[in-house]
Amino acid sequence: MSLPGNAMDSLSAALKCNIIPNQEYLLQGSVLDQYVEVLLHRLRGLCDNVDSGPESFHDHEICFSLRIPNTAASTPMPMSIFSLRVRRALDVSDTPYQLRYIGQQELGDKNRPTVVRSSIDMACSSTILEFLTELGCRIEFEYIARGYMFRKGRMKITVSKIFKMGGNKPESVEPISQSYLVELSVLAPSGQDAIGEDMRIFAEQLRPLVQLEKIDYKRLGNIM
Amino acid sequence: MERDIEQLNAALNAIKVLRSNVRSVFESVSNGLRADHGDEGKETKFIYELQELLTTVNNNLRDVENAVANLTPQAGPFSLGNTTYLSQETTQERQALYGQLVNSYKWTDKIREYSAVAGNILAANSFNKTYKTYSTAKRRKTTTSNHNVAPEVIENLISSIDRLFPDVTFTPNRPLVPNPIIQVSLGRVLKAIIAFKGLMIEWVVVKAHAESNDLWTESRYRVFKRITENCHAAMCHFHSPLMPELAVRSFMHWFHSYITLFSAPCKRCGNHLNSNLPPTWRDFRSLEPYHEECK
Amino acid sequence: MGVTILTQFALENKTGPQTVEVLSKRICALGAVQQGHFLVDCETYTSVPQLGHQRTVHVLHNSEQPATVFSLLDNGTKITALATDGLFDLLMMKMSQFYTSKKQTKAESKGLRYEIGDFYVKLGTVTVSSNYKGILVEVEYRPCVVPAMCWDLLKEFLQGFLGLTAPTNPPTYLQNRMQEVYTPIDTIHQYLEHFTMFRKSPGIYRN
Repeated sequence: MSLPGNAMDSLSAALKCNIIPNQEYLLQGSVLDQYVEVLLHRLRGLCDNVDSGPESFHDHEICFSLRIPNTAASTPMPMSIFSLRVRRALDVSDTPYQLRYIGQQELGDKNRPTVVRSSIDMACSSTILEFLTELGCRIEFEYIARGYMFRKGRMKITVSKIFKMGGNKPESVEPISQSYLVELSVLAPSGQDAIGEDMRIFAEQLRPLVQLEKIDYKRLGNIM
Repeated sequence: MERDIEQLNAALNAIKVLRSNVRSVFESVSNGLRADHGDEGKETKFIYELQELLTTVNNNLRDVENAVANLTPQAGPFSLGNTTYLSQETTQERQALYGQLVNSYKWTDKIREYSAVAGNILAANSFNKTYKTYSTAKRRKTTTSNHNVAPEVIENLISSIDRLFPDVTFTPNRPLVPNPIIQVSLGRVLKAIIAFKGLMIEWVVVKAHAESNDLWTESRYRVFKRITENCHAAMCHFHSPLMPELAVRSFMHWFHSYITLFSAPCKRCGNHLNSNLPPTWRDFRSLEPYHEECK
Repeated sequence: MGVTILTQFALENKTGPQTVEVLSKRICALGAVQQGHFLVDCETYTSVPQLGHQRTVHVLHNSEQPATVFSLLDNGTKITALATDGLFDLLMMKMSQFYTSKKQTKAESKGLRYEIGDFYVKLGTVTVSSNYKGILVEVEYRPCVVPAMCWDLLKEFLQGFLGLTAPTNPPTYLQNRMQEVYTPIDTIHQYLEHFTMFRKSPGIYRN
């Protein structure tokens, strides 16, 4: 029987072998409410989970951030910000909460077909909200997403409606727009850029119903 | 028009009668010789019966032919009304063809698979058409049994025991209606899966709460394996063919004493542990805890 | 997962390896079978001063739950527990700007694991940043999940092979939780309690 390895050692070994899926490849777009049915229908035909039909979800996402003023003068930003997202399912009880770190968008090559950003995704216990608050995080924003999830090989396609939180009751929410958010994403170990090409081809098949594009957050003036 | 429909109805009815009588021919053939053919000249009787049935079928067939001849075929194409536009409908949601197509594809696929398997099995095992033997020996006297009871009786029994012990939870589960399988949770100590055969306890497995509810795999813990064995002994001890309800009741009463499994020391040696097990035996009368070695 | 009791153990005039050997002889004489090794480790991170009052995050791994990372966040007044996937370690690395690791306090308990009836016994040698600190004995009674129900039974078992030095009262952490269902995080709390004691002790800690 072998000795149990130190957890940190095995993690760094896994990092070295590059088997941890810590890169997210992402394309985003939107579709108006009245055409969402057509899109869903097309996705049903294109995606893997054909016979079971689309998988629905109803999630509550809260974005937390840790921030401290930057003392080093050389850095361009006045604050160091570290944001973490917590997601929990509202429609299924007993599922673990999901904690997610999303890094800066990688600049890289302009010709890259998708947004690439680092991402650490993990399941966690329901104490996470209290844990983050105690850690010094504060709530940045929160929303409710309700929609459908499709799979195509490694790709994940979500079509969801985003709702503003209205008060404390989950029923009193209002949609933020007249359209649905469409996201095409893959979580993969770094360096697997070929997947970007697959995603571009898939996105091509959804035109002209929805234009999936790489969104530059900096241009949106968003502090992500 | 009215007359057409009447005739069509008559034709359909004739077909129905024909089908039903053909069915009875096959039924009779597949059953072969029956007891009510008696002993003497049973073959001839059987053949007569068959002949009669076939004549009926023949007559029915003639009726169908007549009815069909009376029908006047429609001249020109059928008018389908609005349904003709169905093929021009492009928004697939409205006709919901998609889901049906997928379902029917899966269905035919399954049929193919099953029929292939069934074909193999049937080819391997040729069987006799008549597999019943008709002995003239007297039928066995029916004994009053506690195997064959109305489901309500068992239901009542279980719920009355449920009321008796507030710290025990009963979760019935009925894959086979007259023979329920119940899951009995004894506080947070353990759970038992009990299978009934009518009013008789047929099988008991004791497990930890975190383990599966499967009736066939035993617990991975030694203490619960030991209690399972003891439950089997108790199930035989309390079994009473004349008072089945009482048997179940006393078994449950005895079983309930395991609520102190981990906390009560042995009555004889005063210790908790003996060969690393708590007292796993409960006396049938006094319900006192003992180690297997101390009882 | 059953109720687990963690206790420190020391023998007069004996070194760590000698103590472990005495204990392993005793437990094997009682009929235990050795079942591999175990390792529990704890790394501690503290918040940077810019983040306000000091908080400490203890990140623990237990080889019994190899896919889980346990974190205990101590803000001075209370401890918040969190269980996550293994990637939490990666997240802590990303947070190095806010929470810094104190390498010299890395504590671990490792050693052999024995199975005896429905009990698991683990004899752990504790080191804090590679310095020997003492012996931790972990006893788990797997079939039972409520501490109050089996404390007497566990006490008897502990006395059976630790002798008179065996604890007579439940661990302080468990005392308020005797009626609750025991979960893996409770074991982690007990380990942290002992690791903190060992870190504070200057040399070899004695009970």
